[in-house]
Amino acid sequence: MESVKDQLVINSNETSQEKLNELIVDAAKKGIKEVVIKHPQARHNLGVGITDPIHLVYEGDVGYYACSMSDHISAEVHGNAGWAIGENLMSGEIVVEGNAASSTAASMRGGTVVVKGSSGARTGIGLKGGTLIIGGNVGYMTGFMMQKGKMIICGNAGKALGDSMYAGTIYIAGDIAELGNGAEIVDLPKAEYEEIKHTLESYGMKAPASFKKIVCNGLLHNFNKKEFGVWKTVL
Amino acid sequence: MENSTIRKSKVWSPEKIDEIQEKAELGRYRIRGQATKRQDLPSFDDLVFTPAGLSRVALEGYREKCDTRVVIGEGRVKRPLVLETPIMVAGMSFGAINSNAKKALGIAATRCGISTCTGDGGMHPVEREASEKLVYQLLPSRYGLNPYDLKRADAVEIVVSQGAKPGTGGTLLGQKVSEEVANMRDLPLGVDQRSPCRHPDWMGPDDLGVKIDQIRIATNYEVPIFIKIGAGRVYDDTKLAAKAGADAIVIDGMEGGTAASPEIQLDHTGIPTIAAVVEAAEALHEIGMKDEIKLIIGGGISNGADAAKAIALGADVVYIGTAMLVALNCNKSIYVEDYKALGTEPSACHHCHTGKCPVGIATQDPALMARLDPDEAADRVENYMNSLTMEMQIFARSCGKSRVVDLDPTDLRSLTWNTSMITGVPIVGMGTTRNPYWADYHHATGQHEFVAK
Repeated sequence: MESVKDQLVINSNETSQEKLNELIVDAAKKGIKEVVIKHPQARHNLGVGITDPIHLVYEGDVGYYACSMSDHISAEVHGNAGWAIGENLMSGEIVVEGNAASSTAASMRGGTVVVKGSSGARTGIGLKGGTLIIGGNVGYMTGFMMQKGKMIICGNAGKALGDSMYAGTIYIAGDIAELGNGAEIVDLPKAEYEEIKHTLESYGMKAPASFKKIVCNGLLHNFNKKEFGVWKTVL
Repeated sequence: MENSTIRKSKVWSPEKIDEIQEKAELGRYRIRGQATKRQDLPSFDDLVFTPAGLSRVALEGYREKCDTRVVIGEGRVKRPLVLETPIMVAGMSFGAINSNAKKALGIAATRCGISTCTGDGGMHPVEREASEKLVYQLLPSRYGLNPYDLKRADAVEIVVSQGAKPGTGGTLLGQKVSEEVANMRDLPLGVDQRSPCRHPDWMGPDDLGVKIDQIRIATNYEVPIFIKIGAGRVYDDTKLAAKAGADAIVIDGMEGGTAASPEIQLDHTGIPTIAAVVEAAEALHEIGMKDEIKLIIGGGISNGADAAKAIALGADVVYIGTAMLVALNCNKSIYVEDYKALGTEPSACHHCHTGKCPVGIATQDPALMARLDPDEAADRVENYMNSLTMEMQIFARSCGKSRVVDLDPTDLRSLTWNTSMITGVPIVGMGTTRNPYWADYHHATGQHEFVAK
C-alpha cells in the first residue's frame, strides 16, 4: 500500500477484504481522489457501501458486488466483472472494459453503469433510475420489473426482455429472443436516437445504425379480470 | 314428503359454493389480508406446561426475578441487538400500514426495549424517529433501499419469503399506492404492485453468503444480519441460512399475517408455526449452532402462552405482527357501519387489501388515518407488550426457571397425539413414555388364557 498525494494504491493480494474496504471508505472520507486496486483477482465485495466521492481503478477482474450500495463514486474496471456490479448504485459512474456476469446494476437508483462487452442474465433487473449501457449482448430477464431509468443495449437480448416492467425505457439495437410480459416496442423519435449516439460516443463506443425502443404497455398495471389472456402468464 | 330434509354437504359446503360463485363473478382468485382461516391447524394451544411441584421447585410467582433479556449477534458483531423481552414487532411495510401505525408501534417498542421492523417499502422517517431499535428489511423488491438507511439500521433482515405466502412476492393493490408510497417505492401512482419473489442479485445459499458479506461491509460489521424464511422446507432452509452466515434466522409459520395475498395461498402453503419451530431448532442443534445463532419464530403468536411455548420448543425470540395491529385497534368494534360497508363485521375483518381499514391502520386515506391517534395507540400496544412479558414470566416461574429462555421441551406435555407427533413432546398421561402400573393387568388376571379358551 502506498499513498501519493491524492492517490492511494492498494495491493489486493496483501489486503483482507475487510481491510481493503476500510481503506477505501477511509480514503474517501479524507478526500483522497483516487484509489488504485492492484491485483483484484476477481475477489468479491471490493468497494462496497462507499458514500463519499472517490474514483476507483481496478487493475483486473472483480468478483461479486464491486462498487455496490454506494453513492457519489466513479470507477473503471480494467477487466471483467462478476455478479451485480453497481448493485443499488445511487449516483456516480462505473465503466467495465470487459464483460459482466449476471444482475449487472440490479436495482440501481441513479448514475451510469457502462459495460463495454456483454452482460449476463437479469441485467438491469428492478432498475429504479440511472442509465445502464451494454456494448454487447444481454441475457434472460434483462430489465425484469424495471421501474425507472433507461437501458441501452447495443447487441442482442435473451428471452423475457423487460418482463413486467412498470416504467423506464429500454433501447436495443440487436435481436430480441422474446419480449417480456407487459413490454412493447414503440417508435423511436430521431432526437432520442441522437441522444443515444451521443451518450455512446462519450464512452468511446460506436452507435449501431438503429435502435428499438421498449416501454411498458401498462396492461399489467392494474389487476383487470377482463384481461385473463394478458394476466395468465404473470399471475 | 320424500327428501324434504335440508342437509348441508361437507363437500359442497356453503363456503365452497360461495367461493366458486365469487370466482365465477370475479374471473380471478380471491385476494385478502390477515392470515389463513383454516380451523384444523395444530397450535400451541395443544400444549400445556408442566409446572413445578415436588420434583422441581417453583419461583415465587409475583416476586422473584425472572430475566427476559435476549441479545442477538453477541460476539459476532460490534453492536449486538439487545431486547429487554423476547418479542420483536414483525415487518409490516409503510404502505401496508400507515405512518400513524408505524409511529405507535415504534413508541411502544422503544418504551419496552424491543425492536420494530420496516417491512417492505423502505424506512419511513417517522418510524426511524419513533423506534430506538429498528430492523431494516432487505427484500427482493429493494423498494426504498439505500446505503444511508442501511447504515442507520440496528439490524438488517434479508427476507427470502413470508409465512403467509411463501414462494411468492408481496402485493399492494393500487388503492394503497398513494403518492408518498409510490415515491418511496419508485412506482407509478396507483399501480397494483406485485413484488418479485427472488432477489435480483443472488440465487442460492452460496451467493447469499457473499451477499451477507456485502451487507456486513456496508454496515461496517456493526449490526446483526437476519435471514427470514416462510416456513416450508424448514429443516434444510435453516441449515443453509446458518451456513450462509446469518446471526439470526427468522422462521415465519403459515399463520403469519399479510396485508394482501391470494386467499388460496394463505390456506394451502407453508407449515404451521408449531411444526416450524421444532424443525428449525433441531436443525440448529444438529449443526451445533443453536447457542450461537438466534432463532426467531413468527406466525399467529397471540399471547404469552404461545410465546413461552415457542421458546420452550427452541425459539429465542417471537415475532409478532397481526396481534400488534389488534392491540392498535384492528377489528375493534368501533366505526361498525364502515365494517358493514366492506361486507364484514368487527372481529371478522380481513379487508387490509382494500385500503379502507375502518380503524385507520391499514389505509393511506387521510380521513381514515385520522381515526388512529398514534400516542393513544402506543399506550395500548405498550400495555399489550408488557402483558405478554408478564405472561411468559408466569410460565417460566411456575416451571422453576429464573430466565424465560431456560424454558425447554421437558416443561411441556401435549394434549393431542397429533401435536405430540409433530413436536416430539410426550402426550399427557403415561402415553408411550412408560407403562402405567396397571399395564400387566390383563396378563396378571390370566385374561389371555381366558380368551384363548
